[in-house]
Amino acid sequence: MSISKRFAELEHIRSALNEADADPGRIVMERMLSATEAEIAGRRTILAGTNNYLGLTFEPGILEAAHQALCEQGSGTTGSRMANGSFASHVALERSFAEFYGMPAAMIFSTGYQANLGILTGLLRPGDKVMIDAHSHASIYDGCRLSGADFFPFRHNDPEDLRKRLRRLGDDARGALVVTEGLYSMLGDIAPLAELLAVTEEFGAYLMVDEAHSLGVYGEQGRGVTEAAGILDRVDFITGTFSKSLGSMGGYCVSRHEQLNLLRYGSRPYIFTASSSPANIAAAHWALDHIRSHPELRETLWSNVARLYGGLKELGCTLGAEPSPVVAVRVGSHDEAARIWNELLAAGVYVNLVVPPASPDGASLLRCSVSAGHSPEQIDTIVTAFGEAISRTAFAGACCSGQA
Amino acid sequence: MSTDTGDQYQEILQGLYGMLERFPTRNIDLQEQTDLVADMGLDSINVMELLQEIEDRFDIIVPLNVMSDVRTVQDLATQVQRLIRENS
Repeated sequence: MSISKRFAELEHIRSALNEADADPGRIVMERMLSATEAEIAGRRTILAGTNNYLGLTFEPGILEAAHQALCEQGSGTTGSRMANGSFASHVALERSFAEFYGMPAAMIFSTGYQANLGILTGLLRPGDKVMIDAHSHASIYDGCRLSGADFFPFRHNDPEDLRKRLRRLGDDARGALVVTEGLYSMLGDIAPLAELLAVTEEFGAYLMVDEAHSLGVYGEQGRGVTEAAGILDRVDFITGTFSKSLGSMGGYCVSRHEQLNLLRYGSRPYIFTASSSPANIAAAHWALDHIRSHPELRETLWSNVARLYGGLKELGCTLGAEPSPVVAVRVGSHDEAARIWNELLAAGVYVNLVVPPASPDGASLLRCSVSAGHSPEQIDTIVTAFGEAISRTAFAGACCSGQA
Repeated sequence: MSTDTGDQYQEILQGLYGMLERFPTRNIDLQEQTDLVADMGLDSINVMELLQEIEDRFDIIVPLNVMSDVRTVQDLATQVQRLIRENS
């Protein structure tokens, strides 16, 4: 395909989004007002689609930590750790992650996307076998592709299907890698990790869990769905991001295998990327310490989840199976989703518009992410705005069919 | 192609036609040269469902990465035949 054809293809996608008035790329936060509010198109808008689960981005402590690092260590690292060396703050954050999870090894990356890319390409060689949940994030698909390994999607959250596929691999199942997530970011459902681990162990395979959306949210100490499932000591690799509950930017991997550290010598996304800026590292480190010492943040988050989930359910919206910090309202069509999304924006509520192919099962979704930083009044405003937006769209009947 | 191999290929092809007919086919006649995406308009979710059906039907496992070399029904049938052979 020539570049001009590629431009034409992309132009087609852009025009289609424009015509439907459904281009999330056009949203500009003109001014940030708090962790949960911004000015969009001159309007004060509640943010319910920014994955800021613990609402830490404007905490005085996080700002002070980032500010201090900026002043003491400078604005950037200007290169990769393999070339330029590590800052002490990078090493200290890795130590904190390892200690937080009670594991011998931790590596940090410049983004969450790169954490998955770096781990998968570092671990896997062409011909290796990987089983990934079909709803996996793009970074998992891309990491598998880049590694050259043979990768096989198994049915979403289906341990029996994983077993069937591992069995078909025959002898190759031993030593294969199984990849799943903790909380799935689009539909807001969690993985049956204990069951998936049991199948993985049955075949002598390794398990990797991406906790990008569940760090700080699930588990008694906020270590994710893996902790909540009671399998922290048996999972092989956990990856995640600083850009959600930690309110910063970057990614990490922890492992019960000390050899994780060897990937520093063979993971190209790690070797050839500039390391995270001191301010990002300091913010993430502050947030990691903060979530450990403030379990009440999770209580507030879950109370907000119950309020939003309950409110939307009462409206008759079709939601995910169980309440989670990702509350996805399923609607009948792409057009209907775009209409409601625009109505919500006009009412000063920002959520995520998710339509195929970005949605995992062909669904059109209005995806809300709940924050501990939301006030109960903000949650009520979101619910009211949904009620009014739905009733103003011509397809209200299709969306709220009384399935609550 | 030997007769046995040819028979096996035809059997796979007919099986694939049966599966593909259940997807939106834009009212086209399915042929070996039908392009799964350009002619049929299959999206990534359709492809995933199709693969899972193929795996169950032929008791094989299809790496998603081989799909980057698959454009037509013929390409798909050839890959399925190769995987069956490797599995046996």
